[in-house]
Amino acid sequence: MGLEARLPDGILLTSVEKFIGWARAGSLWPATFGLACCAIEMMATGAAHYDLARFGMEVFRASPRQADLMIVAGRVSQKMAPIVRTLYDQMPEPKWAIAMGVCASTGGMFNNYAIVQGVDHIIPVDMYVPGCPPRPEMLMDGILKLHEKIRAEQFVPRPRKGESMEDFRRRSGWQGPQPDDIAAMPQPGGLHQVLGSGQVRA
Amino acid sequence: MSQTTPRADAATPEFTVVGGEWQELPDAVPDDRMIINMGPQHPSTHGVLRLVLTLDGEEVLDCHPVIGYLHTGIEKNLEFRPWTQGVTFVTRMDYVAPLFNELAYCLAVEKLLGITGDVPERAQALRVIMTELNRVSSHLVALATTGMELGAISAMLYGFREREHILDIFEHVTGLRMNHAWIRPGGVAIDVPDDFTTRVRALLALLRDRFGEMHDLLTQNPIWIERNKGVGVLTPEQCFDYGVTGPPLRSAGVAHDLRKSAPYCGIEQYDFDVVTHTDADAYARYLVRMGEVEQSLRIVEQALDRLPAGPVMVADPKIAWPAQLALGPDGLGNSAEYIGKIMGQSMEALIHHFKLVTEGFVVPEGTVYAAVESPRGELGAHATSSGTNRPYRVHLRDPSFVHIGALPALGHGLMVADIIAAVASMDPVMGGVDR
Amino acid sequence: MTDSPRMEVPDVSAQEKLNQIAVARRDGLDARLEAVRDHLAGAFGGLGFEDHYGELTVVASAAQLADLLRFAKDDPALRCEMLTDVTAVHWPGGRVEHRAQETTGWPTYAIEQEGRIDVLYMLLSVTHGHRFRIRVSLPDDQPIVASAVSCYRSANVLEREVFDLMGVRFEGHPRLERIFMPEEWEGHPLRKDYPLGGVEVQYKGATVPPPDERQY
Repeated sequence: MGLEARLPDGILLTSVEKFIGWARAGSLWPATFGLACCAIEMMATGAAHYDLARFGMEVFRASPRQADLMIVAGRVSQKMAPIVRTLYDQMPEPKWAIAMGVCASTGGMFNNYAIVQGVDHIIPVDMYVPGCPPRPEMLMDGILKLHEKIRAEQFVPRPRKGESMEDFRRRSGWQGPQPDDIAAMPQPGGLHQVLGSGQVRA
Repeated sequence: MSQTTPRADAATPEFTVVGGEWQELPDAVPDDRMIINMGPQHPSTHGVLRLVLTLDGEEVLDCHPVIGYLHTGIEKNLEFRPWTQGVTFVTRMDYVAPLFNELAYCLAVEKLLGITGDVPERAQALRVIMTELNRVSSHLVALATTGMELGAISAMLYGFREREHILDIFEHVTGLRMNHAWIRPGGVAIDVPDDFTTRVRALLALLRDRFGEMHDLLTQNPIWIERNKGVGVLTPEQCFDYGVTGPPLRSAGVAHDLRKSAPYCGIEQYDFDVVTHTDADAYARYLVRMGEVEQSLRIVEQALDRLPAGPVMVADPKIAWPAQLALGPDGLGNSAEYIGKIMGQSMEALIHHFKLVTEGFVVPEGTVYAAVESPRGELGAHATSSGTNRPYRVHLRDPSFVHIGALPALGHGLMVADIIAAVASMDPVMGGVDR
Repeated sequence: MTDSPRMEVPDVSAQEKLNQIAVARRDGLDARLEAVRDHLAGAFGGLGFEDHYGELTVVASAAQLADLLRFAKDDPALRCEMLTDVTAVHWPGGRVEHRAQETTGWPTYAIEQEGRIDVLYMLLSVTHGHRFRIRVSLPDDQPIVASAVSCYRSANVLEREVFDLMGVRFEGHPRLERIFMPEEWEGHPLRKDYPLGGVEVQYKGATVPPPDERQY
């Protein structure tokens, strides 16, 4: 991710994370990636009746290099799959992807030779919006849930308030200290002096 | 995917346009030529259409379309489902005008079954009303996307605003805004609600008013005229040679409309004109589409006046969809009374329902072709049955697919920005092109 | 399905049954298409004609196709300006259940058939308002036929589709390559020996096989 790589370890980041999350979610620009029927509903979501501009998202960027969000709207065929990947790779970090509609989520009703059974075979997807096609309100619901997810993103994974360690480990993949790390740690019960040469003298 | 065409000179070798050979290109291609790739992800190519343009400066020497980026294998999927379930697949082909796909397919199935004359009059009239409304909504999308691609963003917003009102009607009747699966072999899935007539009449008044606004916005607009007049001319001879039908053919002066020459669903009882123009350019196609909207509204009005009472599904119990459907929170489903009847009262009804829904009806052997006049041109279903409950082979002749074949003729000699206007005026829908 | 040898049809009741099918199918052409049929029969020898469902199907051989298309386009009585559709149907070879009898109530039986691909051309005349179909049968291991591109340019994309999905080679096509599938794809998807290619669907611990492997 963009900013995270530059932050030194151990700094308390709560307010910074909240601010950055709010900024990112507040103007999340989608890339034009309408493929099939869902594209028409996506256009309807951006149009006047179900306005996406209320959420700062009416500017559909044609160039993936200027976009944060790829809404894969429609069925991904075998010929289109490498292009989806190329476009996703061209988007700069931070980026998110929504699989809009059942065809993008799982291949939909087209369980056959021509359709990739879910765009998550090709790109990592952050939000799946089912429907054939999903109503504009459903797409907005998915987008707003993605906004919440973005707002809650942490730069350094650590347990949230009220979250158990198990849930935290599952969410972030944090393994905890391994046996080698534990052996290398200073043992309790006594003062140890670390000499300049790195030797530890009890 | 090589991009050289018969029109490029023999000196230009063939390249696969995947990349990697770009270093060789400057030596091989004469200095004054550029080969540019437009799409498949492009804001202005009307969907996942890829155009490989050979340019001399800004002028297009050759325009080679590459398609297949939305190939879904719908025709193959149809062979593994009963005939009625084919409607849900076929409707997602040309997704801007889904009812036309359903209608062409159902007309073919009804022809094979021999029940074309037995479809009730109310079902015919409802089919006409809903498909003509779909024509209006499809032309709205055409205008909206053309406007957006040419930079007239207001046209986009106006078009989609009007379309929402039409989609409200569709949702009121079929439960879905798009891809309805409402027209089924033998009739339609469910009758319209009681306030249908009032709502549609109110919609007609609204649409007439709003289309006046769109006329004011675009028809005499100097920028619109500059960008569309003289762009993308296809003479009648070229149209015939390339198999182009629909508004592009009518804009060239040929009054060929399947609703008049081979009418379906009783549309010959309604009084309407075939809108033609003589210039055969993008502006003429725009005028033809605006005129067709007016004619469609006329047809809907007459059909509403004449809407007969009666059933909406054919009477033959071996073919008719067995269930009484009702609109639920998630679309069409079996109504509560019907579920009570088949589960509680009548075993025969349950078995009948089960057999017809899971296995479907058997269609006699043969091959037929049934065509309708979709907003884009002649949409035909070429259905072959081998005498079972599943289609043997259904081919859908989509107008957009054939029109894409005409793009090289359309694009020769235009500038890059005109290519966009020309393609938009042909109004291809990539779902229909690639199927 | 009984494996009985092909039955001859001498008795009246069977003929009546066939008549009933013809009536239900609305066989028989209107005056316009009858004129077309007679005109074609007069100009070409060796053509077959079918009139099922009120549609005229001209059965031609692959060798006759180019001349027939040129004649249909140029002859003033036919004036078929447009080739609206080119499509193909694959009938695989081997022992197959012959289902026509299913609809007449006769017992079904199996017949040996050679694999063939029927290529269908739909021609439309805007001036005269008639439409008819030409059917050419090709062997399915080597389906080769002359291309219609020199006569009708709409055949360019239409024939590419048939090549891509069925494997029919059109000789004389300026660039016969795949149009839907990626260039390096192997196989022709719409043939009957090509699988649907679906995957098993998992949902809440249960699996549903893809549509071509289901038992119902």
